[in-house]
Amino acid sequence: MTTRQILLALALAILFAAIGYNSGRFWAYLIYAVAIAGIGALSLNLLIGFCGQITFAQGALIGVGAYSAAIAGNAGWGGFSLLVAGVVTALVSLLIGLPALRLRGLYFAISTLAAQFILVYFFKILQPLTNGVSGLVVKPLTLFGRPVANDQEYVVICIAILFLSWLFLARITRTDMGRAFLVVRESELVARGMGIDVSRAKAQAFLLSGFFAGICGALFAFTSRLANPEAFEIALSVDQTAMIIVGGLGSLTGSIVGAAFVTLLPEAIERLGEFLPVAGLVSAFREMAFGLLIILFLLLEPRGLVAFVRRLAARWSGKAKAPAKRAPAKTSNRAVTAQDGR
Amino acid sequence: MIALQLAISGIATGSVYALIALGIVLIYKCSGVVNFAQGAYAMLGAYVTYALLKLGLPALLAVLFGMALMALAGMATERLILRRMLKAQIVSVMMVTLGLLIFFRAFCLAIWGPDQIAFPQVFPSGSIDFAGIFITYNYLAAFALATTLSVAFLLFYRHTSIGLMQRCAADNPRAALAIGIHVSNQVSIAWAASAALAGLGGALLATLGGLSLNISDIGLIAFPVIVVGGLESLAGALIAGFLLGMLEAFTEGMLSPAIEEFLRGFTTIQSVGALQQVIPYGLLVLMLLVRPQGIFGRAGTERV
Repeated sequence: MTTRQILLALALAILFAAIGYNSGRFWAYLIYAVAIAGIGALSLNLLIGFCGQITFAQGALIGVGAYSAAIAGNAGWGGFSLLVAGVVTALVSLLIGLPALRLRGLYFAISTLAAQFILVYFFKILQPLTNGVSGLVVKPLTLFGRPVANDQEYVVICIAILFLSWLFLARITRTDMGRAFLVVRESELVARGMGIDVSRAKAQAFLLSGFFAGICGALFAFTSRLANPEAFEIALSVDQTAMIIVGGLGSLTGSIVGAAFVTLLPEAIERLGEFLPVAGLVSAFREMAFGLLIILFLLLEPRGLVAFVRRLAARWSGKAKAPAKRAPAKTSNRAVTAQDGR
Repeated sequence: MIALQLAISGIATGSVYALIALGIVLIYKCSGVVNFAQGAYAMLGAYVTYALLKLGLPALLAVLFGMALMALAGMATERLILRRMLKAQIVSVMMVTLGLLIFFRAFCLAIWGPDQIAFPQVFPSGSIDFAGIFITYNYLAAFALATTLSVAFLLFYRHTSIGLMQRCAADNPRAALAIGIHVSNQVSIAWAASAALAGLGGALLATLGGLSLNISDIGLIAFPVIVVGGLESLAGALIAGFLLGMLEAFTEGMLSPAIEEFLRGFTTIQSVGALQQVIPYGLLVLMLLVRPQGIFGRAGTERV
C-alpha cells in the first residue's frame, strides 16, 4: 500500500462524502448504504478471502452489532455505542469461530449456518432485550453531544468510517498477523510447519472480522432507525458473500466495489421496473437477477471484478502479456480434486 | 394419545423429508457438492406437478411427468453450471447452489405469485379412525409413497449395474475412470435422480401442507439433520429425515407450549416462536462438537 494509493482513496472518500453531503435524501441514502455494506464486506473478506474460514453467520453478526448499538445508543452512550457494538460482536464472532479449531472447510461452514439461524431466533424471542419480531426503535446517533440531524450527515460519518476501516485492514494484511492468515488459508499444515500458531491466527481473524461486522451493524441500526430480526436473516449473509465474490475474494478494494455493485443493482432494477408494465413482478425480477448475478460471476469471472478490471487495464496499457490461459481441467470429476486435497 | 398422534404426523412428514435428504447425500457422495438448492428442487417439483394437474392430467401421470421434468432440470444444472466448477473453491460451490436457490424461488414467485395455493386433492379425502387416533389418507399415502420410493431407490443403488457404477464413481472416481466408468455421466445421473426425488417430495409436502414458496426452506432446515446422520451415508439420510419429522412434530406440539408455560412463570417472554426450525441446528452444534463425522459417517470424511 503506497502513499499514492492512500491519497487516492482519501480523495475518493472526500469526493463521495462531498457528493452525498450536497445531494438529496435518496442519493445520500444510496451512498451511505454502499458504505455500510462495504464495511461489512471488508470484514467478511478478511475472514473468507484472507483467512479461508467460510462463514454464513455474517448476517446474524451484523444483527448482533445492530442490537448492541441500539441498546447502548438508547441508553445514551453516544458515539461510544459504536465501539460497544464492535466489541460485543467481536466476542460473539470469536464464539462462533471456536468450532473452527476442530472443524475445517465444509463442516465449519455448516456450523456457522447453525449460528446464523440460532442467533436470529434469539433476536426474535428475547423480547425484553430486542423487542421481538416488531423490532427495536433506535434513537439517532449522538456524536459530540448533539444528535446526527439528517441523512447527509450520516453519509460523511459512514464514508469516514469506511475509509478508516479500509486503511486499518489494508495495514493489518501487510503485517505478520495478516500474512499468517494467508498461510492458514493455503494450508494449516504449512502454517504449523512455519511456526504459526494456527488457533491464535484464527481467533485473531474472527475477532477482527467480528469487530468490523459490529460497526457495520451499528451504522445500519442508526441509519435505518430500526433493528428488526427480518433484516439479519440468512439473506443478508448471502448478500454479503455475494459482494466479496463479485468484488474478488482476498481483495479489500474489491469488497467495496462488490458492495456497491450488489447494493446498487437491485435499486437500478427497481428504477427500470417503474417504466415497465410489470409492477407486481419487479421484486421477483430483482431476486432472479441477483441469483443469476451470483451464478454468472462464479462461472465467468470467479476472481471477481477486480481481476476483470486488472485484465482490462493490462490490455489497454499493452505492457502486460495477454492473460495466461487457464490450464484445461484434466479431471472430469469434482470429487477427484476434493480427494487430492485431503 | 397426543404423543401418538404427533408421532404419526411426524413419521409421515419425516418420510418425505427422508426422500429429499436422500438427494442431498447422493449428490454429495458422487460429486462432493453441498447442494443448498435441494429445497428449491422440491419447491419447483411441487409447482410443476401443480401446473400439470391444472392442465388436466391424471394424478399419476402428473406426478411421473413432474419427476421426469425435474430430472431434466437437475441434469441441466449439473451440465451447465456445476460441471464448469470442478476446480472452484468450496465457498464458490456453496454460493452457486445458494444462487440457484434464490433464482428458482424468484422464478416460482414470478410465475405463481407469493400466496399459498391449495393443492388439488390427489388422494381420496377422509381419514382412518384408529382407536381414537386420526390418520388422514393424505398422510398415509405420503408415507407409503415416500417410504416405498426411498426403499426402492436404496435397492436400486445396491443391486443394479447403474447403482454399482454410481457407488464406484462415488467411492473412488479415479479407479472408476480406470475401469471404464464414465464418471461425469454418473454425476449427471446422480443430479437427475436427486432432483426427481426432491420433486416428488415437494409435491407430497404440498399435498400435506399446501403449496407455497416456503417448501424451499426444507433444504436449509434438513441440512443440519443430514450432517447429524453423516453426509456420506444414504441410510443415515433416511433416518435423519424421519428424525427431523418427529423432532418438528414434537417440538411444535409439546415442547414449545411447555417451554412457553415455564418461561411465562418468571419472564415477560410470551412465545418461543418457531422453535421447531431451530432445534435441528441446536442438535447440529452439539453433534459437531462431539462427533463431527455424524452418527453413521466415517471418520476422516471432512474436506480439507
